[in-house]
Amino acid sequence: MRKSLSGTRIREQRRQARLTQKALAEQAGISASYLNLIEHNRRAVAGKVLLAIARALDVPASSLSDGVDSAKISDLHEAAAHHPGIGAEVAGIEELAGRFPGWAQMIAALYRQTRDQEAMITALSDRLTHDPFLAESLHGMLSNITAIRSTSNILKSIEDIEPEKQARFHQIIHEESHRLTDAAQSLVTYFDKKADPKAGIATPEEELDGFLERHDYSFAQLDSLGEAPASNVEVAYLVNRIMAEDGQLENPETNRLVTAFLQNYARDALALPHGDFIKVARKSQYNPSVIAQNFGTSLHTAFRRLAYQDPAKTAAPPMGLIIANAAGRALFRRPVADFTFPRHGNACPLWPLYQAFASPQIPVAALLELPGKHKFIGLAIAEAQGQPRFGQPAKLNAAMLIIHYEQRALLTKWLPDLGAAQPVGITCRICPRSNCTARTEPQILGDEVSE
Amino acid sequence: MVKRVLIVEDEPNIVESIRFLLEREGLDVREQSDGALAIESVRSQMPDLVILDVMLPNRSGFDILRDLHELPGTRPKVMVLTAKGQARDRLTAEEIGVDMFMTKPFSNQEIVANILEMLA
Repeated sequence: MRKSLSGTRIREQRRQARLTQKALAEQAGISASYLNLIEHNRRAVAGKVLLAIARALDVPASSLSDGVDSAKISDLHEAAAHHPGIGAEVAGIEELAGRFPGWAQMIAALYRQTRDQEAMITALSDRLTHDPFLAESLHGMLSNITAIRSTSNILKSIEDIEPEKQARFHQIIHEESHRLTDAAQSLVTYFDKKADPKAGIATPEEELDGFLERHDYSFAQLDSLGEAPASNVEVAYLVNRIMAEDGQLENPETNRLVTAFLQNYARDALALPHGDFIKVARKSQYNPSVIAQNFGTSLHTAFRRLAYQDPAKTAAPPMGLIIANAAGRALFRRPVADFTFPRHGNACPLWPLYQAFASPQIPVAALLELPGKHKFIGLAIAEAQGQPRFGQPAKLNAAMLIIHYEQRALLTKWLPDLGAAQPVGITCRICPRSNCTARTEPQILGDEVSE
Repeated sequence: MVKRVLIVEDEPNIVESIRFLLEREGLDVREQSDGALAIESVRSQMPDLVILDVMLPNRSGFDILRDLHELPGTRPKVMVLTAKGQARDRLTAEEIGVDMFMTKPFSNQEIVANILEMLA
């Protein structure tokens, strides 16, 4: 805070009160020459003198003595630098802030708003450019168009084609035009939702999240699969029925994601039948290692089974889950209260999820503290996917199970000593930790806080 | 001697049309849809020319292109054929080393003419 400008503010208030220096000095019980020095910031003013002047001006002493917020001065400097062509008088910034604090506040606020909106637009533009759904859709459509164009050109320009081959090329055109229609329909649905402010911006991944939220992340019909032998046909029937009953799935790409999710859920339910799973989970205090060992599955499967439960029905502690591939793309995500996952862009690099990639197959447990002071237990492990092949790099996915620290009493039998809480965030763009060495990009919302 | 072309592409309908066009020109056409197996196919089938997509399952076309440059002996000619036609993809392919870069959708006449010229 700067105190040197109190004089300027006293002078401004005196002028507004239409008082001469002499009149104000008399009322405050000081000499006019002393007031003159104060008003020109050549004498500091405080204590009884300040109170006397404030009383004489009929204003709170704080309105005279409160210094000019250095952050505001900094914003004004930044605003001037951001618009060099306007020719703002940089040398007069402190005087502006001292004499007209309201106007200075407004200029600083407008500048901050503009700066934040520019950052937001850049983020949205980045997102559109790097939107995986758009990129994949356009690539797929170009492939469809290539096949249609090449095949139709063969049919048109080459006459001596055998009838069987001709029929085959007609079939290709038929297949590819159907795929092209589906892809175009997906794009139209995608952009329709973007254009509808009520619907917000929804990618197929976000629609999958919405579908899972509508079903509380658990599917009793699939849970019952493990109790009796089930055929692929039965699984497919149940998956289709769940999707049909939902009635809100329109986008073919979303349908593909939902189908894949439900099929995976069914596989997990077959591997860890619901009744037995609940018994083992309760007996072991929801210990993923014991569950995995008991059913002969990977820890990732146990994580998914634990996270995709309705705690209201099983009395299990609510658990969040994120599974990502080595490129950082989230393949599964089940948020838990107070711990959300970024929909786009990178998550906090300090999460054990990413540390697990450094030592595959070794479980990592940590106590995590978010900027809002909520604490969570994070359990992570990276596991190789599929059949390993000599000469080929391993395909690794990492999973992190997240449990609110308040639930730790339910896990006392097996939870290791987690040590001190590690400060983490959700994603750099909305993380207020100003001195984080892991920060990869500036934050765009709110104010930064030092630890 | 009949020239051999290996198409490394995961879209079967595109492969089918290219195969048809090239076989009409008397070429021996082989195919591989898995990026991870592309180099093994080159080793075993010894094509004169490889038509290489960029976005392939399990291994990208650019990685395969790098591997091709490390093969001992005479390297087959390579045509990168991709829907990723952006300037930086062309630049990447050219930096690694490529004989021809074409984008999808392509003209049948142009792709056949280019391949015959590369094999001449």
